[in-house]
Amino acid sequence: MDLHSEMILEEYRQALPVLEDMEQKVLVALREMLDRNELIVTAIEGRVKTEKSLAGKLALKGGKYSSLRDITDIVGARIVTYYTDDVDRIASMAEQQFVIDWDNSVDKRRLHQLDSFGYNSLHYVCRLPGFDFPFELQLRTTLQHAWAAINHDTGYKSGIEIPKEYMRRMNRLAGMLEMADDEFSRIRTEINDYRRRVQKLVQNGKLDDVLLDGDTFRSYLQAKPLDALNRRIAAINQAEIQEAPLMGYLRVLKALKCNTLGDVSRLIKQYEEDAYLLARHQLGNTDLDIISSAVGLQNICVVCILSSGGGKIGLERLFDALNGHNSQNAALAEMTFAQAETLPFMR
Amino acid sequence: MKTEIIKNANQVIAKFSGRLDTAAAVQTAEDVQPLQEVSNSEIILDCSDLEYISSSGLRIFLSIRKDAAAHGSKVIVSNINADIRQVFMMTGFISLFEIR
Repeated sequence: MDLHSEMILEEYRQALPVLEDMEQKVLVALREMLDRNELIVTAIEGRVKTEKSLAGKLALKGGKYSSLRDITDIVGARIVTYYTDDVDRIASMAEQQFVIDWDNSVDKRRLHQLDSFGYNSLHYVCRLPGFDFPFELQLRTTLQHAWAAINHDTGYKSGIEIPKEYMRRMNRLAGMLEMADDEFSRIRTEINDYRRRVQKLVQNGKLDDVLLDGDTFRSYLQAKPLDALNRRIAAINQAEIQEAPLMGYLRVLKALKCNTLGDVSRLIKQYEEDAYLLARHQLGNTDLDIISSAVGLQNICVVCILSSGGGKIGLERLFDALNGHNSQNAALAEMTFAQAETLPFMR
Repeated sequence: MKTEIIKNANQVIAKFSGRLDTAAAVQTAEDVQPLQEVSNSEIILDCSDLEYISSSGLRIFLSIRKDAAAHGSKVIVSNINADIRQVFMMTGFISLFEIR
């Protein structure tokens, strides 16, 4: 190694604590930036170039750098995203957050010719206020990251130049992963469009057009269709209402032959009065002043099962679906049946 | 009313005996405080000797559940008698707890 490179290495040794401090501050800034924008990513990672790696770089092209400050990737950070669209979103956030050295930044995704495939990442050379050194921010998708990691492992580790045939096969995979990345993004966009359409149908009350599934049921529950019934039940003992998850009822509603949100809405309307009467009968002579927000839907399902002749076995199946199968459910069904036996809907 | 906390390898058992009514709630809330430090474990609320539970008792169970969720733990209510089962059913608490 020549004297100039030795001087840069010595500069590195002196600056190492500052570089390590900067790496940590960069990671904190990136995490805060993503949190502010509510963006979830696969990984955020950082590193300060090791002395060995720097020495290797200087041995190859030491003359290119006049000082340590010219080495743009001396500190590196990487964000690995789920979706290719998120790479561009984060790039835009980084442009607001840091000063970008555009002359040294490169979008490797755009460097490819129409007929070539390979390494795809966005590299920004950035500056963090308060530090003299630049850092490199790499943005790539999980699939691009997997390709780059495996390509690095197979291509460089052995120190032997690999035959073109293997490079062609790696690049073919890069092309395939690019298609997969695009498809993942398209699927996400279409799912979001579907959710928006469903929410609109729910808001407009066109519930018969919406098939009952996890997504649509969640949207429906956001409209709080059981609030009025729960408030009536709570009023029996001036009880407080504790929020409870209702998604477990999806399976029950399907078993009760609800195929659309319209069916669920009709089921609620049909049985809410009897569900209230059941709650009044159960709670009226107690001093229980706390209920969960599941009680309304629970009682609707109980009433629906009992009034359609499902009996104790039907109730046991309901509790199996809600609690998981266990020996307590038969006793719970027996007890609920006995409580409901004298109510009008059982006649 | 008596509360006993037993710690095993991957499980913490809170064993309740007696009547968990309003009068017993303050002491019981103090007795279950060690459960707040339990993380990534199964917390069993063993009710085999619990005779009765009031709203105050339900609130204690609820608060154990909230702390457990915040610390990555799971709460299971076990061996409840018929009266307590009825309370869980009437209040809709069977949707809040796993009951064994």
